[in-house]
Amino acid sequence: MTVSTAPVPVAANASGTTQTTTRRNRLWALVIYILTALYFLLPLAATFYWSLRAERGTLGFEAYRRLFEDANFLPSFSQSIVNAIIAIVISLVIIVPTAYWVTLRLPKLRPVVEFITLLPFVIPAVVLSLALIILYSRPPLLLTRTYESSRVLLVCVYAALSFPYMFRAVDNGLRAMDVRALTEAAQSLGAGWPTILFRVIFPNLRVALISGALLTFAIVIGELTIALFMAQRTLGPYMANLTRSKVYEPSAMAIVAFAITWAAMGIIQLIGRGQQGSIGGGH
Amino acid sequence: MQPRKYLFHVFSLFVLVSMVLAACAPAATEAPATQAGEDFGEMTDLVAAARAEGTLTTIALPHDWCNYGAVIQGFKDKYGLEVNELDPGAGSGEELEAIRANKDNPGPQAPDVIDVGLAFGPTAKEEGLIQPYKVATWDEIPADAKDPDGYWYGDYYGVLSLEVNTDEVANIPAEYADLLKPEYNGQVALSGDPLTSNAAILSVWAAGLATGATGEEAAQAGLEFFRQLNESGNFVPIDGDSRTVGIGETPILIDWSYNSILNDVSLAGNPDLETVVPTQGRLAGVYVQAISAYAPHPNAAKLWMEYLYSDEGQLGWASGFCHPIRFEAMSAAGKIPEDVLAQLPSTEGAFFPSIAEIEAARTVITEGWPSVVGVEVQAPQ
Amino acid sequence: MKATLQSDVQPTNLTVRGAKRPSRLPIWHWLGVLPFFIFSALFLIGPTLVLAYRSLEDPDGGLSFVNYLQLTNPTVINAYSLSIRVSLTTAILGGLIGFLVAWAVSIGGLPRPFRSLTTTFSGVASNFAGVPLAAAFIFTLGRVGVVTALFELLGVDLYGTGFSLYSYTGLVLVYLYFQIPLMVLVILPALDGLKREWREAAENLGATPVQYWLHVALPVLIPSILGTMILLFGNAFGAHATAYALTGGLFNLATLLIGQQISGDVLHNPGLGFAVAMGMVIIMGVSITIYSILQRRSERWLR
Repeated sequence: MTVSTAPVPVAANASGTTQTTTRRNRLWALVIYILTALYFLLPLAATFYWSLRAERGTLGFEAYRRLFEDANFLPSFSQSIVNAIIAIVISLVIIVPTAYWVTLRLPKLRPVVEFITLLPFVIPAVVLSLALIILYSRPPLLLTRTYESSRVLLVCVYAALSFPYMFRAVDNGLRAMDVRALTEAAQSLGAGWPTILFRVIFPNLRVALISGALLTFAIVIGELTIALFMAQRTLGPYMANLTRSKVYEPSAMAIVAFAITWAAMGIIQLIGRGQQGSIGGGH
Repeated sequence: MQPRKYLFHVFSLFVLVSMVLAACAPAATEAPATQAGEDFGEMTDLVAAARAEGTLTTIALPHDWCNYGAVIQGFKDKYGLEVNELDPGAGSGEELEAIRANKDNPGPQAPDVIDVGLAFGPTAKEEGLIQPYKVATWDEIPADAKDPDGYWYGDYYGVLSLEVNTDEVANIPAEYADLLKPEYNGQVALSGDPLTSNAAILSVWAAGLATGATGEEAAQAGLEFFRQLNESGNFVPIDGDSRTVGIGETPILIDWSYNSILNDVSLAGNPDLETVVPTQGRLAGVYVQAISAYAPHPNAAKLWMEYLYSDEGQLGWASGFCHPIRFEAMSAAGKIPEDVLAQLPSTEGAFFPSIAEIEAARTVITEGWPSVVGVEVQAPQ
Repeated sequence: MKATLQSDVQPTNLTVRGAKRPSRLPIWHWLGVLPFFIFSALFLIGPTLVLAYRSLEDPDGGLSFVNYLQLTNPTVINAYSLSIRVSLTTAILGGLIGFLVAWAVSIGGLPRPFRSLTTTFSGVASNFAGVPLAAAFIFTLGRVGVVTALFELLGVDLYGTGFSLYSYTGLVLVYLYFQIPLMVLVILPALDGLKREWREAAENLGATPVQYWLHVALPVLIPSILGTMILLFGNAFGAHATAYALTGGLFNLATLLIGQQISGDVLHNPGLGFAVAMGMVIIMGVSITIYSILQRRSERWLR
């Protein structure tokens, strides 16, 4: 069974008035888009320009060459990717039911849940790392003793760090569809809770879930402080070490990291869209 | 609401609080009181014990700082130990926090050894965070740069200098006073926030010492100097580093001589840098080494210290443009090669402040900086 | 083919109806939120309690409120105040611009690829912070920046006009780089929920676009917008590395204050640092309370 309230985009097949508004809207949309694109692309372009200046008097890719000279880039990169994927899954599995329950059954809990999800912003990363070491370096939950168990701890913390973004995205997604009607309809068709959650709610949250996943991915891929405290060889520390007290290499690294992350996001988006194909959503 | 629910809440809160309290309570185990390497009269015993531990965990050692990259590699090659490097960018405060947090943790997060600002040695000793050890070359470390009981010991030093991007700056400033000239508008930076960075706070003091004042008066004069520098628009209030100097955003940076020379060498003329060591207010800064009281690999830590204070380790630092702490003794014995010596800046007439003097200046500067120099930013409304 | 099930109940009514239900829920109803509370207790609340405990330690290791007494010190008050102002300003500006961009790529009718590009780009940009971000802006709007040079070509001395990247304005400009994309990503699902039928109905009844937005679209979106604003506020409130790289000691933000006391080379009073951090937790709690009240008011008002 597939139930969907996939959003319907404003299409040009509407009535005459809608067509004029659509055209005017599109013009405004373009203006807004170009202005913000300028704001976002100029700093990147300037960074790119400086990354090309590693050789005096000429522009070239010397900084990039130096960056990957004796690079041991892949292990740390793949480690971060795996961490990110696991963190995304944990975050999704925890936040979606929570947001759903809070919307449908326990609205009084909402402020409490929101407060907890926003804690990652106000606990400084250094403090969080130190507290985690204190808490998990002794029984009953001994996680700091080995590299691998520390990694488990790190991934769990990353999932927790994604809560503010994931909760807000999912909550906005839930508000945008009629959770109660969908749930009741599914129930009347004899669906149990797992079916409702995984066959009805998850597919309808596609846009929100992709937003949450992208944000989680971005946090994990570049995180530095906690990874350093947990002695993990992930991408963040690797990049920081490679570019410490250099002039042109950090710019090259910033561009490379931006490009890689962007590509990875494209893949996440594609996977999300592939899933959408099977449920026949609006766009 | 059901009472059962409250019970559930109260119970879970209780469990959590007790977990936290248990975690925070002072550890029952005392710091191991190993004494000054007497247990290992023989170096070979120490090497064997360190090898049995297999790993050394370090913290806050950037590879290009004082040539630490090569020093660590040399240690690995010589003794075959693994070196697990924690946050190379950590500040001294963070290093002590890492020791505190890892009291009961023998895992990879716990640092064995630290390299901290001079003032942090006594603090750490007082709190019982470090353990004593005296290296074989102990006697060649100047007495005022080490703890008599061997808890901490100076490792290397440099002098504060002006790192100047000569592509951007036509007239190279020679003294701190020159920095106030209008021609350096928007060009001068510190290597960090004076409330966070050791080099930055000592730079403020050095600028004050350059006026001829001493002690706390010099600290006050330093604040006044930076107030003028800021008001004239010459001061660029950012966390300056080789990059901001290199691109010309802050073509004049006050930083340690070893960082400045290193940047010049690694940039290789793109752009050209020059390291100016002012004659007035020539201030030297010493960092100190210590072994964590809770070091999971105490023997590897001791072996590391032996290596750092051996001729080989000391020359390693010297090739990174840092004056090793045994500099006087070693140069008197002719142990420092000419080419290494030639690269080191002159420290002639440099002032080596005592910890008490640094503390006094620090108090004046940290208390005065926000009000005398810092800008109280107003929102535009 | 999909089966579309929709009802005309406004989403905002849901929570209100839910709230009126008797709170007598069977215990298994808690199962849905239990994983969240367990996980949060382990990785967020636990660390917060450690933080609370350590904030009660005085410099000599005893337990006292001495660190909290220092929070009334003008330096700390100013730091909180500046942090709150920067966060509010960037949340409102970032929220507004982000909303417009999200509108442009969804309802605004820009071609489909724009939207994919924008969402993926936003994912990266929302976490492009710290030293690389500060550097990117120095390259752009610093004294040697590209844009500064462009203005010079046009005969305008940007820094002569009183502009500086190392000022409040500069900081806001830089923070927007991660605030706007965050708004875009998080508000998009909400914008997608606006049904075309509502707008057509409004237009058929003779409503202007302004009336449509004021009376139909915004009321539906308000809860999401408010919620996202508090997210943006928190996002800026906790930012540290970006501010440090750009303001080297002249700005006094709460996160910088914590860094000075806990991780720095100079000041070392971790207890005070932890207390300042606890203060931030409390400010966040107060903000969420205010926001919850606003949320409830807006829902009542919209009904």
